[in-house]
Amino acid sequence: MPSENATATAPGRVPTRQALLTKRGGWFFGLTGEQIAKLLFQGNAAISIVVLGLITFTIFRDAVTFLPQNQDNLRIYRLAGLEFVDILRGQVTEHSTLSRYLLKIRSDEQQRLSKAGQDFAAVNAQLAGFDALANTFADAALEHETILGEMTDHVSAVKDRYTVASDLMQARQNLLAAAAQDPARAATLQKQAEAYEIEQIDFTAEIAPLVARRPEVQAANQKLELALQQATASIAQLTDANQRLALARFQEHLATYRASIASTEERMLAWDQAKPVGWHESLSAFLFGRRWLTASFWQDWYGVIPLFMGSMIIAVLALSIAIPLGVAAAVYVNQVATSSEQKFIKPTIEFIAAIPSVVLGFFGIAVFGETLRRVSQVEWLSWVPGFPMLERLNATTAACLLALMAIPTIFSLAEDAINNVPRSFKEASLALGATRLQTIIRITIPAALSGIMAAILLGFGRVVGETMVVLLCAGNRIEIPDFSAGLGAIFQPVHTMTGIIAQEMGEVVRNSIHYRALFMVGVVLFLISLLINWLAQKIVRRYRISIG
Amino acid sequence: MNKPATAALIFARPTPAKRAEKGVFWLLRLSTYFVLACAVFIFLDIGIKGGAVVFQTKAPFINVPFLTQSPETLNVVELDGQKVRMGDHAFREFKEKNPEKLAGVAVETYVYSAGGIFPNIVGTVLLVGGSILIALVLGVLSAIYLSEYATDGAFVRFLRLSIVNLAGVPSIVYGLFGFGMFVIALDFGVSLLAGWLTLAFMVLPIIITASEEALKAVPKGYREGSLALGATKLQTILTNVLPYALPGILTSSVLSIARVAGETAPIMFTAAFVVRDELPWQVKNATDFLFQGVMALPYHIYVVASKIPQNEYTRDVQYGTAFVFLFTVAGIAMTSIVLRARLRKKYKW
Repeated sequence: MPSENATATAPGRVPTRQALLTKRGGWFFGLTGEQIAKLLFQGNAAISIVVLGLITFTIFRDAVTFLPQNQDNLRIYRLAGLEFVDILRGQVTEHSTLSRYLLKIRSDEQQRLSKAGQDFAAVNAQLAGFDALANTFADAALEHETILGEMTDHVSAVKDRYTVASDLMQARQNLLAAAAQDPARAATLQKQAEAYEIEQIDFTAEIAPLVARRPEVQAANQKLELALQQATASIAQLTDANQRLALARFQEHLATYRASIASTEERMLAWDQAKPVGWHESLSAFLFGRRWLTASFWQDWYGVIPLFMGSMIIAVLALSIAIPLGVAAAVYVNQVATSSEQKFIKPTIEFIAAIPSVVLGFFGIAVFGETLRRVSQVEWLSWVPGFPMLERLNATTAACLLALMAIPTIFSLAEDAINNVPRSFKEASLALGATRLQTIIRITIPAALSGIMAAILLGFGRVVGETMVVLLCAGNRIEIPDFSAGLGAIFQPVHTMTGIIAQEMGEVVRNSIHYRALFMVGVVLFLISLLINWLAQKIVRRYRISIG
Repeated sequence: MNKPATAALIFARPTPAKRAEKGVFWLLRLSTYFVLACAVFIFLDIGIKGGAVVFQTKAPFINVPFLTQSPETLNVVELDGQKVRMGDHAFREFKEKNPEKLAGVAVETYVYSAGGIFPNIVGTVLLVGGSILIALVLGVLSAIYLSEYATDGAFVRFLRLSIVNLAGVPSIVYGLFGFGMFVIALDFGVSLLAGWLTLAFMVLPIIITASEEALKAVPKGYREGSLALGATKLQTILTNVLPYALPGILTSSVLSIARVAGETAPIMFTAAFVVRDELPWQVKNATDFLFQGVMALPYHIYVVASKIPQNEYTRDVQYGTAFVFLFTVAGIAMTSIVLRARLRKKYKW
């Protein structure tokens, strides 16, 4: 036995193993081996808390500075007058959209007439009236376009000058900081810093001529109004019913457009360059922004909505495939299958979870996307909305593959839940004369419902958080899907929150606003996963109580 | 002829309810087998097309260069009306020897499509090995604390909560975390070490939960018997709990190896390089070993799947890499499933 106090001074050193296992001790900082072991285990456990803290801290630290940076971004947008020009741009864009709509009606009509056997000249002659209308309409906004072009050049130049000035300012600050660090070269560095000519930009004065053009815009608007009135009056001389419908729709659009001109004018009048940009404006520009536009010459936008929509569309689609299949498989394996089938199916489905997501993504690119497009081109499937598919890689391609990833999760958790339903429930139901199907539908599934719900939620978490499949197969177009296409919207390419991080993180400039924006997206993902976990736990806890 | 009894006749005739039941059961059965068929199709597609790259009909039956060489650019040259494929090295030699043949001949190049994937395999093994080691040490020790020492309190409740929540965090967020924390804040750069830590923290929750479950499954009587005989708590754990929980811990760790090996998102910007000329052990100082980026199979698949066109020249490297990767990961996962099935039979108390 070791002595009471086996310190290093004791002649016979105690073997480590014995020292570790002895009850009495104090051989190391007065601690017994037992206590040390406990501390070791405890310390390790504490590390996982530290890790959680670190994760939260790291991504939040890099994300929160996004807000002031974006605020600054929006402030310049307003100060340099870009916002003012964008108000007018909205109107001009709407005009050209309507103009394109007219051209589309014309080309449809032309096709119809040439199919009916008329030759080119005859068709043109017949459409001459329509062409006159279309041309007057297109020309009506020429004056606006000129003003807009001039304004755009003006504010772009102002913004460029500002960017140059702020870059120089940054360079000067760096030099001065270096000078403070290095006394030997301080004088030269300071001289270099002084040598920079930094332009002070007076935004109010720069933008004044722009604001002064408001009466010009008003005058142009009055002319436009007259032209539009004429256009409205001279519409409607097409014979085909479909075309007349299209024209009627054009007239509706035209009416809203005419109404919007006045409000555009009002907004231009009400625009205030000096209005401060609040931090909540910066936050809502991120949370509710409908544009994710980076490295643009005009203005960068960091709005998460298109990415969020992409993630949600893919997740909902994937779940609508995975839930029926996963739950059906769980019910089948637990309630219907023979035990040999069980032994084979259960590990096999769980085995699917081991397919690495990047391999699934590769399969999607190499085989599945192409197959899906071939199928969509089959003649007798053309009634399906969105068929034939325009793109090989789209939300549906990614969702089908993600469904395969979510199925094992949903299957094994749902199977557990069904397995946990007390046998007496089932036996009581069968004893009352119910068939097996009735028992399953009325007793077993309702009793396991909350467990199944939790399984579905965790499957959802898995789908939303998946990166490689969506990065490879979703098509990566950063736009809100065009829901006017109805259900066909699911065959459009989308981009997702996970995908954008993976795609842009590698190339982004560190600590730039774009970098912070990606961390903000990471924060959104982190919060979503916390919410899902919290909900799943809550549901499971409630379920336990109800079984009693 | 024996007429069946009336009762038998009545019960043999399917009632509408029975018929509906049968139909629904068939529907369930079909859904289940549909899922299996999808998985089998993927395995077959990659297995057949990739197997053709990795295995050969002639001795030594395995495409050795593919497994032992580094990736190269593939040059496709039209010589004498035939398309000839050459790796970059071979192409340069050929160019020096007979430059006249190449005059005016169009050369198509495909990056990464020649040579092999040896550095990727090495990098993956290194990444997985190191991160699993870190994760296992941290995870198992934490699990022992949670299962044997912890008494319910604020600390432990918070610990469990954080573990459950960490398990659900998307892997790309771990990638962001690793990038912000290790690559930038601690200035490791894109390195093996950053990759290890990122991956280790990603699987830590899984290892802790699974190991704790394995420890909890050891009957209380084992501990009580040992303690009653006068053993200390640590002795009890070392001799009477861990040996019985070890198989369970083993399965969980094998499963997490499969998960670590399969993940791409966390290593994309913490550890993986698209191309690196030297192999990981070709470093000047021993410390450089930890701070070097490596090539890895999953990242390589991502690059060759998304950055180069799909055609007959690039197909080999795409399917070959996918084959090696998929069947390695699948093999690991299979081991875990078989192991678990065996251990369940062996340890029943």
